[in-house]
Amino acid sequence: MSDLLKWKQHHMSHDLPLARDGAHHDARLARAARLEAARGELREASARGEGGRHAMRQYSHRMDALIQQLYADAGPLTQSVAVFALGGYGRRELCLHSDVDVLILFAGTIGRDDERFLHAFLNPLWDLGLTIGHHVREVAEGGGLESDNSEFLLALTDARPVVGDATLLDEFLDAANLPRTHARTLDALKGLIAERHAKFNDTLYQLEPDVKDSPGGLRDLFGAHTIAKLTDPALLANGGAGPRAMDDAEEFLLRVRSVLHLDTGRHHNVLSHELQERVAERLGYTGATPSQRVERLMGDYFRHARVIDRSLRFALKAAPAPIGENLVRGADGIRFVDAREASERPETWLGAFQAALDAACPVSDDALGTIGQNAGRFAAEAFFPSAGHRDALLRFLRLRPGLYARLSEMHECGLLGQMFPEFKAINCRVVRDFYHKYTVDEHTLLTIRNLERLLDHPPRDRERFARLLSELKASELLVLSLIYHDVGKWTDEDHTLESARMAHQMFDRLALSDEQRAEVDFLVREHIRMSLVAFRRDTEDPEIVRQFAQFIGVEERLKMLCLMTLADVEAVSRETLTPWKEELLWRLYVDTYNHLTLTYGDEVIDREQSQHSALLAQLPPDLSADEVSAFLEGLPRRYMQLFSHEAVYKHVRLARDLAPDAVQAWLDKVDSGWELTVLTHDRPFLFSNISGVLSSYGMDILRGFAFTKPNGLIVDLFHFTDDERFLELNAEGEAELLKTLGEVVLGQKEIAATLRGREQGAFRRKLPGFAPVVHCDNDSSRRYTIVEIVAEDALGLLYRVSRAMSDSGCDVDLVLIATEGRRAIDVFHLTRDGRKLTLEEQADVTTNLQRVLEGRS
Amino acid sequence: MKLIKAIVRPNKVDEVKAALEKIQISGMTVTEVRGHGKQKGHTAIYRGQEYNVSLLPKMEIEVVVPDSMADDAIKAIIASARTGEIGDGRVFVIPVLESYKIRTGERES
Repeated sequence: MSDLLKWKQHHMSHDLPLARDGAHHDARLARAARLEAARGELREASARGEGGRHAMRQYSHRMDALIQQLYADAGPLTQSVAVFALGGYGRRELCLHSDVDVLILFAGTIGRDDERFLHAFLNPLWDLGLTIGHHVREVAEGGGLESDNSEFLLALTDARPVVGDATLLDEFLDAANLPRTHARTLDALKGLIAERHAKFNDTLYQLEPDVKDSPGGLRDLFGAHTIAKLTDPALLANGGAGPRAMDDAEEFLLRVRSVLHLDTGRHHNVLSHELQERVAERLGYTGATPSQRVERLMGDYFRHARVIDRSLRFALKAAPAPIGENLVRGADGIRFVDAREASERPETWLGAFQAALDAACPVSDDALGTIGQNAGRFAAEAFFPSAGHRDALLRFLRLRPGLYARLSEMHECGLLGQMFPEFKAINCRVVRDFYHKYTVDEHTLLTIRNLERLLDHPPRDRERFARLLSELKASELLVLSLIYHDVGKWTDEDHTLESARMAHQMFDRLALSDEQRAEVDFLVREHIRMSLVAFRRDTEDPEIVRQFAQFIGVEERLKMLCLMTLADVEAVSRETLTPWKEELLWRLYVDTYNHLTLTYGDEVIDREQSQHSALLAQLPPDLSADEVSAFLEGLPRRYMQLFSHEAVYKHVRLARDLAPDAVQAWLDKVDSGWELTVLTHDRPFLFSNISGVLSSYGMDILRGFAFTKPNGLIVDLFHFTDDERFLELNAEGEAELLKTLGEVVLGQKEIAATLRGREQGAFRRKLPGFAPVVHCDNDSSRRYTIVEIVAEDALGLLYRVSRAMSDSGCDVDLVLIATEGRRAIDVFHLTRDGRKLTLEEQADVTTNLQRVLEGRS
Repeated sequence: MKLIKAIVRPNKVDEVKAALEKIQISGMTVTEVRGHGKQKGHTAIYRGQEYNVSLLPKMEIEVVVPDSMADDAIKAIIASARTGEIGDGRVFVIPVLESYKIRTGERES
């Protein structure tokens, strides 16, 4: 762009050689005569005091014809080129001595032939004595429009085609990010208005006003129109002085300005004392004395200036703010700038609800009306044509304040039922029983509202559930499951199975991953199970809890089902969820959670387990059933719930003939970070060394688990984020990390020193927010002493605590790592010489851990 | 008449209700209550932190029966609510002096 600009400045000078031959001379004379005729026409109208809108349109029209002629005469074109009128000329309000602003737009790259065209086109305009404000652009430059100069952006808002391929402007603007460009234009305009007003001491009551620049002048009038154009075309009809008064003010000021240009013979817009008499006279003001005539003229001036000032103030105050593609935020909520365009683009509608969610405001009735009128025309797929749109839907469904209200709006205008056709089946569905108080669709939406209320200062007795909600990794799956949990109630059969069947229809449309499908299917299918167990079974019976925990499998699923149950029961009626039921639900949650995290080590995989059979049924040819069974022997059942079949097969292959000093480790990029899997034989400080290596590279370990087989084979998995982007920015980063890992694990390299610097930095930066908790439990498991640690998350935490355990002579057999917000929640299953720890050993390890957690060692 | 007030495990309500219906006692009041008896609650641990669960959720079933049916009702409740473990609950029997139907004002004998 800068080179092009230099070229323009260099070549577009008045000193370029002019055509000397007779034909060109004649043409130049003819053009001059033509322009003079047009100017004469405007001069006469101005002299009569009629140099307003009509006369200026006429003059602009004549200028169009002149430019069209010059374009035709400028020689052959090698590509599409178009000329667009900008600013006042674009509005067809060209005054006698106004600048003529044009945009010359080329379809492709500007070459030598195009330069010749530019010379031939622009030079004659300068020769005519016109002040030309020209902008030369290539269509591709539209991509950088938002960072273009603000005055050009403002002039562009009035662009209209004069000659050439008019569609080039559409292409130019299509390449631009219009919402951002509009936002920047609007900001620039507001800045310019404030700056200009400051020059006039922010008052319109100037005794010698500038009819263009003063507050209440023509620039303010165009400013108000521009704000409306960029945000809400109907804005000025809804407030300010009203369109008719603005038209009158514009006509008056244009007439005055015409006289000023006429009588000064130049671009002069100040209505000075001496010119006020001339203007009053030409505009036909009556009065016995000149001062009476001036007084009346100025009275009218201030009246019109007030109209403009009032409208501009209204526009500044009430203008919807551009907040997305074809979206603005107005006083009544989120609106489409161009409703007609929106009506043809259903994939953009969710954006209105997302914007409303982000801005904590409603979607306007207008926008809901547009969607409501058109929603029925589109099939569900039209709302999510791309992966990006499907991801946007899942993002939208993440639980946050306002989601219920937005979903209700979507339901009321018919969009929810179009996006999720299965939901239509329960529209206003009445199920007659003694306890439900609302139609099924409203009950469904209320479940989401109930969860939403947990986010914002929940009552004290709900804080425990609110914490679960804040810990969820994918609250959107819970919301999606809630939307579908009762769709099967359209039939009087078992609604949970029918709901799950209907949810499956949605899975393909949204292209959910296998994991997401499994999660939603489980929640929908089993959404009443936890209430049945909590309220109808004897949950003090450990066997009931054990069975329930086994059914649930992992903590994340337990949390989701618990929250789903809470929200579902509460949405039945105001009275259904009593504190008594909440307590029962919470106790079942706690008992199940404890079972999942504390006693899973006792439940090892057995050959009769259905998952075991399923794994063997799909064996790849290079693996035998015996080999797989031998590998699984002694591993907790939880292992099967955490790894896919493919992952298990991979582990079996890698464990085959694994040498005593071999380390099999690999990294996988996953959605929200990385996963490190390690297969090796157990050795002292193994777990702390692995976590130490990750921390030494600045990795933040969020989740993970470690399994140790009775034969000493370990399978560890760490999920971590790479906030410093080491792996992303270094091509050899993965290889380096794995190499270091191997060396540290095999004792060929020391990690403590490398880690110390980072840890010290982390200690300095992070002060503990709460006291760490260390809890030793020798009762929950038959085989292990369990140590639970809840502490402020910090770099190297896992390394330090696991090292302290090893220092105390403990073997770290099983580990569950979880990070929930700022809290690290780690559960270690320990043994010493193959047995549980004695009371003294427990006290010793607890003391060591407390010291480490308090930073005393 | 006797007012029989039974505090039972929440999961036993349906069984108690069925047992009472079997001996022709169908009117009853069921209330969610919390309390403790000899159990005196217990200590629970969540994420390494202990908390005391002193009041346990129970269900209270109230029935008013003629004196002649009181023993059968008590037996039915005990039989259906019992698990043999601590925390099965209690049955209280209270004499009722008078009883009135609110709709008609009629005194019941």
